[in-house]
Amino acid sequence: MGGKYKTPMLDELEKGPWPSFVTEIKKAAKRTEMADDELGQVEKSYVTKRGYWKHGGIVGVLGYGGGVIGRYSSLPNEFPGIAHFHTVRLNQPSGFFYTAEALKMIMDIWDKYGSGLTNMHGSTGDLVLLGTTTENLEVLFAEYSSRGWDLGGSGSAMRTPSCCVGQARCEWACIDTMAICNEVTQYYQDQLHRPSFPYKFKIKVAGCACDCVAAIARADLSIIGTWKDNIRIDQAEVKKYADGGMNIQAEIVEMCPTACMSYDGKTLKVNDAQCSRCMHCIAKMTKALKQGKVKGASILVGSKAPIVVGSLLSWVVVPFMELEAPFDNLKDLADKMIEWWDDNAKPRERIGELIEVKGMRPFLEAIEMPPVPQQVKYPRKDPFFFWSESDFN
Amino acid sequence: MEQTEIQEKIFAYMQQMKGKKKLKEKDIIKKIMEESGDDKDTVKKALRAMIDVGKVMYSYGGGSSSVEIPSEEYLKEKGLI
Amino acid sequence: MSLPERQTDIGPPHYEKFLPPVIKKNYGKWAHHEVLSGGTMVHVAESGDKLYTVRVASPRILSTDTIREICEMAEKYSDGYLRFTTRNNVEFLLSDQSKMAPLLAELKDKKYSVGGIGPRISNIVHTQGWVHCHSACTDASGIVKSVMDELHDYFTTKTLPNKVRLAVACCVNMCGAVHCSDIAVVAIHRKVPVIDHETVGKMCEIPTTVSSCPTSAIRPNPKTKSITINEEKCMYCGNCFTVCPPIEIHNPQQDGVAIVVGGKVGSLRTDPKFSKLAIPYIENEPPRWPKVVAAIKNILDVYAANAKKHERVGEWIERVGWEDFFKLTGIPFTFQHIDDFTFMRDTLRNSAAFKY
Repeated sequence: MGGKYKTPMLDELEKGPWPSFVTEIKKAAKRTEMADDELGQVEKSYVTKRGYWKHGGIVGVLGYGGGVIGRYSSLPNEFPGIAHFHTVRLNQPSGFFYTAEALKMIMDIWDKYGSGLTNMHGSTGDLVLLGTTTENLEVLFAEYSSRGWDLGGSGSAMRTPSCCVGQARCEWACIDTMAICNEVTQYYQDQLHRPSFPYKFKIKVAGCACDCVAAIARADLSIIGTWKDNIRIDQAEVKKYADGGMNIQAEIVEMCPTACMSYDGKTLKVNDAQCSRCMHCIAKMTKALKQGKVKGASILVGSKAPIVVGSLLSWVVVPFMELEAPFDNLKDLADKMIEWWDDNAKPRERIGELIEVKGMRPFLEAIEMPPVPQQVKYPRKDPFFFWSESDFN
Repeated sequence: MEQTEIQEKIFAYMQQMKGKKKLKEKDIIKKIMEESGDDKDTVKKALRAMIDVGKVMYSYGGGSSSVEIPSEEYLKEKGLI
Repeated sequence: MSLPERQTDIGPPHYEKFLPPVIKKNYGKWAHHEVLSGGTMVHVAESGDKLYTVRVASPRILSTDTIREICEMAEKYSDGYLRFTTRNNVEFLLSDQSKMAPLLAELKDKKYSVGGIGPRISNIVHTQGWVHCHSACTDASGIVKSVMDELHDYFTTKTLPNKVRLAVACCVNMCGAVHCSDIAVVAIHRKVPVIDHETVGKMCEIPTTVSSCPTSAIRPNPKTKSITINEEKCMYCGNCFTVCPPIEIHNPQQDGVAIVVGGKVGSLRTDPKFSKLAIPYIENEPPRWPKVVAAIKNILDVYAANAKKHERVGEWIERVGWEDFFKLTGIPFTFQHIDDFTFMRDTLRNSAAFKY
């Protein structure tokens, strides 16, 4: 099989040192008509500068509304192999860890029932299997679920939560991101597989302010590890950094955003009361500086991409909470947020947009959080504000 | 109300709205709660039982999810009508 | 052949099944790490145990063949343990340092790119593009490949003032952190959609379509049982196309990409930042988008020559000022750069102190 199409445009993208997606499609096209027709259609797109896909419809596995995204070529006569080319989202293990054995099993099944193409991984975090037919969906689901792999989320639903590598490999993870991610994924299975929300809801868990999973930019509920007490300093290791050529004054002290550090050529000091826990000094001097021991997370809410009225970054709502397994306090907080959103949002309205419409006050009241200065960059500037009866008591 | 009665109401409502408005799970539950007087959980359970057998199904279009009645051929083939 | 029995709502397999013994033993007890080269690092636990990571580029679209090949290398060198990063790289997790050199040799032999660690360019987060998406107005994978071929040395060896995070979104829905990247490409439309009135009337809910428009450019048209679009108000976001596909927003000759700069996702040192507009439009030039590649290379070169050590692109621009950014890069400043959507009042300058 394969080689049905001449692809002079795409062939150009097999040149050069970076790994080529065209080569990947061609590999699969040797085995499946789907991948071969996919190659032909993409070549056509490169000539005409437009895509040829339709999506949506009733397509999925029985009982679920999430995990499968219907996709159809708009040129089924020209490219019959991709008349159906549905996406299947498999929920990734927390932290994207695999064994070769497990991955090969997933690939063996996919080769039997799909195009042979994948995304490792999709933008939200799922292991994405690209391209299968409607009739193969139930078979795929039975094969995967019987081996312990379930589908991820799609549509107006809880989306597959994801997290950074966390305490599995990173000394900066203040919280057990992988355990939290796994726990909330299990907790929200029903909402993940059966779209009953106003719109999508994403949860991402990052172990520290570095935010390697883009939680503040890309999750409705962003969980960021932090600490409360003093930074621990090993002065002997500080000296080694200095001896190794680091300009501690310029690279650490002067780049500290709160100017809370000083260095006299021997001792590095931190005025912890002024520290905002931004991670700069710790990230640059990981052997010498350690976070405090009172660890937990900051909870932020509301980020999303530009559609409809501009992109949002998440806002701080709970400055600090301790997070220990089984994370009931987090689940309780998330439940309250989702309930308020579900009760009040219009279709296709994200929680950040709803907070903009309704105001932060009703949201904070719904999650039973008091107003605190950590929630704002600065207070209101104009003298228009609401008073409610409860403010007069 | 008996579950089967609730389910008949759900199906009738969905048939009535077909092609007029995309119904979300919540829209259906709200409407049937009013009609039957049952609580949210009872209606949701009845609806979910229909979804589990494929009498009605989740669908996606226009940027959001809804619940729809599948094609008549499908329902006949599966013995659901 | 009968099917195995399906299970529902079991969720993903527990991650513990996939952790190498050295991670299980030292979970939550890592002391520090060191970057050994552009694509290798070692994490040292409080116990003294070491974990070696070898990071390899992937095009994100992977065939099952390549995944098997990667698995076989993992079996040979890292006891079968591997992971993926949030930026779609592959990581081999080795507890035995002596296996690192032979793994690197085999990777080199098989033409894999090892890199992406430290103050460099990691893999480009990107979307599906023409490969698989109905709303794409460019091809994400093709741009990624063309840009990374050009910047390949910054992935493997060459260093920059700090890491530079690149992203490509094939439409403004932005299924990737394009809105908060150091340098990103986002595909845009520039023409008012063309409406297939007959199909709109049959297929779409008119009130939903009307309310989908962020600039209130859409009104119902009872005569045609469809809608009309006020051309002066339309900003070509395509949200109406999402809720009602017969409103055709694609215009292959006029669609193209914008380049945005200066965003970051983390709170490290400075607040997370949105990327801001640098270049409002570059035409689609498949297969290799030479103008897009050149524009990104230019911005990167100017950043590398002017930023202080540890400054991200956005931090550098904020220090020198946007007027300097446009001067240094030679990018023309246009009406499109001035916000006339939601954030105008926050983005216009009030101060009488600025640079030329």
